[in-house]
Order: sequence, then structure tokens, then C-alpha cells
Amino acid sequence: MIDFYIGLFLATLIVALFTTRLYRLLFWYAFNSLMLGVLALSIGKSIDDNAMIITGIITIVVKAIGIPYILKNLSQKFHFVRQITPEIKVQYAIMLVPAILVFTFYLSEPIVNMIHTNANYVAISISSLFLSLLLMMEHHNVAPKIVGFLSMENSLFLLGITATNGMPMLVELGIFFDLLMAIVVINLLFHKEELKV
Amino acid sequence: MIVYFLSILLLFLVAPLLLSYMKGMKMFLLLKQPISIFQGYRNFSKLLKKETILSEESSAITHYAPFLVLSPLLVVMFFLPPLVKGSYYVSFVDAFTITGLISLSTFFLMLLGLDSGSAFGGMGSSREAFISALVEPAMVLTVFSVSLMAGDLGVGQAGVNLAAHFPKEHMASYLFAGISFFILLLAENGRIPVDNPETHLELTMVHEAMILDLSGVYLAIIETASSVKFVIFASLFASLFLPYGLEYSAPLAMLIFFIKLFFIASVVVLIEVNIAKLRLFKIPNLLGIAIVFAFLSLITFYVLGA
Repeated sequence: MIDFYIGLFLATLIVALFTTRLYRLLFWYAFNSLMLGVLALSIGKSIDDNAMIITGIITIVVKAIGIPYILKNLSQKFHFVRQITPEIKVQYAIMLVPAILVFTFYLSEPIVNMIHTNANYVAISISSLFLSLLLMMEHHNVAPKIVGFLSMENSLFLLGITATNGMPMLVELGIFFDLLMAIVVINLLFHKEELKV
Repeated sequence: MIVYFLSILLLFLVAPLLLSYMKGMKMFLLLKQPISIFQGYRNFSKLLKKETILSEESSAITHYAPFLVLSPLLVVMFFLPPLVKGSYYVSFVDAFTITGLISLSTFFLMLLGLDSGSAFGGMGSSREAFISALVEPAMVLTVFSVSLMAGDLGVGQAGVNLAAHFPKEHMASYLFAGISFFILLLAENGRIPVDNPETHLELTMVHEAMILDLSGVYLAIIETASSVKFVIFASLFASLFLPYGLEYSAPLAMLIFFIKLFFIASVVVLIEVNIAKLRLFKIPNLLGIAIVFAFLSLITFYVLGA
């Protein structure tokens, strides 16, 4: 079942790459985070780690419900452009995305030989890191760049929970605090964007 | 053998029912007075009684193209995975044969659209060629990746293997193949993100434009062909991606199979109600996503084995 959630995680990220509307992008980001939370819950349950279950619940509440809601409100407040067309044309993206995936799948092989864990988890989290980088690169508006940044954070988190069988609780809470700081900075950025207009 | 022919006959009979169920359910969700679930049969018998009028420009192709549209699809119905455990099935037919037969049917439909000599027919044919050319690579890739997971290239045998041994260890690539195949199901049957089956608006119609000049018996045959096509895709989806319930006794297994068909139809209806139709030049983007997922499914299976 963990494979299924990881597949959905990657699938939502790929669909987000082809989205041209801001609210739809936020919806896919929320779905992506929800899958991450469910994944953390199911891994935590299988290795019987209470800290990871708490992390999963916090992920679902903060990332799947809180952040998309806040971003939507902010974008309504500052009257953002809701039509976000990717800079990279779809024809090229169709070739680029499989190329990235193949590259990262082969890239992860030596890493997997070093740490003894499931190959596909590491490969998929590294490839989703690259795909979120692509999501940041292909837009020139602020809001989708932020979503790209947040999904990059999601994929790092996925790497953390799958490759290490649970980070220390303190590190995970630190990451959430970082995310909060990021949202404050994002708010400042939005103010600056509004001043420019 | 009896069960085999009976299941094909039942699938053929349930085809118009499924389409009118979708139409009625859609009207219900849009708060209209829904049509009866038997409207498909009524339309068929009405069209049989009507006079058949042909365009003056049309050649002999119009006389035999409707039969050549329907017959490859009927042949495909014999190659579908079995509905019931222990029934006979054709095990050696692979993805290329099924895709080829479906595109043979599409080819004659396009020829039919061109033959009437009206501007609409040609426009519809060119659009259909555009869409079906993009559908084919994704279709072949998807069915091959599922066949690899099932361990057999034959589609019928793959359905049986999947029901016997669900690929738990390949869940990720199975999921990608499922997403890709569902997009293809919408695109090949002309459902809403690609084509609206209910309008006759010249900017949007694809399938309706090709059959605009037909009437009477020929129209009835083409309508049957489009419902049979939906049933083929839905039952391929049901037996390849929802492979449950084959182990029960014959009537129960068949009931479960038809419940799965109606479930797929309901999902399609929910998508139709919630999503606006795409512009024609945006359709390659949607089918591009399908190709990406199909390729991703193969790659995930080969490289990661997940």
C-alpha cells in the first residue's frame, strides 16, 4: 500500500507541472501533502513509531489544509493573476519529465547500494525533488514558485521518512518551524509584489 | 463456451443501457428531468423504422462503411478478458491487435465523414485523426506495461493472471498505468474533456460532425458502434485495473462485473459534470499527460521494479 501512496505522490506532482490555473495548482499541492501525511501515518504504524504518527497528523493539518488555505486567501487579498501559463511549452515538458525521471532513477542506484532501504522510495523522492525544481523554473509568477518551493520541501520530507525510518522528533518539528518562517517571508514577498503593481 | 458467448451477448446488450444511464445520471446531476435508462433501445428501434436518406455526393463507401465501423469492434469483444472464472477466453491476442482493430474502426468512421461531401464531415474527420493519432502510443504503452506486470502479453490471459495474483509489489507503476488508461478511455469515447457527445455546436463537435449526414439504419449502426466502443474500454479497465470478484460463482461474478461497469460510468459522469470541455488545441496537453504516465509506468516497472 505504501507503493500506492508514493505513486499518487509522484502523480499529483506531475499533474501539477501541467496545470495552468493557480487554485488547481494549490489543490494538487494539498493532495500531494495529504498523500505525504498518509504515507507518514502508514510507515509510522508499520514500524510502530509514535513520533512519526504525530508528524503525519501535523503534516495533514498544516500542509494539506492550512498552507493551501492561507495561500488562497493571500492570493485573493493581493489580487494575483490566477492564470499561470508554464514558460516551458507542453511539448517540451512531455519529453523533459520522462528524461528527468529516467535520469534520477538511475542516479539513485549507487545511493541505494550504500543505504539498505527500498530502492523505489529514494528514487521517487529524488525525482520529485527535481520535478519541483522544474515547477519553480517554469513559472515566472511568485505564487507558483512558492508552491514549487513547498513541494520541494515535501519531497525532502519524503526522503527523510522513507530512507531513515524516522528522523528524530526535534528535527521534524524544526522543519515545521522553518516552514512557518518561510510563510512569513512569503507574505513579505507578496507585499513587495503588490507595491510593484 | 456457453458462458463465453453469453457474456459477450450480455455485454452487447448492456452497451446502450450504459450510455443512457450516463446521460440520465448527468441530467439528474444538472437538476433536469432524467431520461429513462431504456432510452438507448427506444432510439435504436425508432431509427430502424425511419427512412434512410443519403447525400447525393456520397459514393458506395457510405453503404458499407457503417458495417465496417461496427464489425472490428464486435471482433474485439471476443478478445476481452473473461467475466467469469473457468469460462473460455482468447489468450493470445495482444495490445497491438486490439489497438489496430479499434483504429481500423476509426479509419472507416473518418472515411464515412469525408464521403458525405459536406464541410462538417471533413472537419470532424480531421479532428478525429488528430486525436486518435495521439491516443495510440499511450494505449500501446499502457497495455504493454500492464501485460508485463501480469506476466503475459495476451490481454485475456493478463486479466486472468491479475485476478489470480494482484500486483501488490508493483502498485506504483500499476497506478500510473491506470491513470493513463482512464484518460485514454475519456479521449477515445469522446467524453467531455475531449469532445462533448451531446452538442451539435460546430466549434466543438468531433464525433457528431462525422455522422451528421447519416440517417435511419446507418445511424443506428453507428450509434451502436459508439456504445460498444465504450463497453470495450470500460470492461478492459474493469478487468485490468479493478481485478476483483472473478473467483465467485458465475452469476455473482457477472453481477460484480456489471456493477464495476456502472461504477466506471458513474466516475466518467462525475468528471463530465465537474470539468469544462478543453479547447481543441489543448487536447494534446491532456493526451501528453497520458503518454507521460504510460512511459513512467514502464520505466518504474523496469528500473525500480515498483
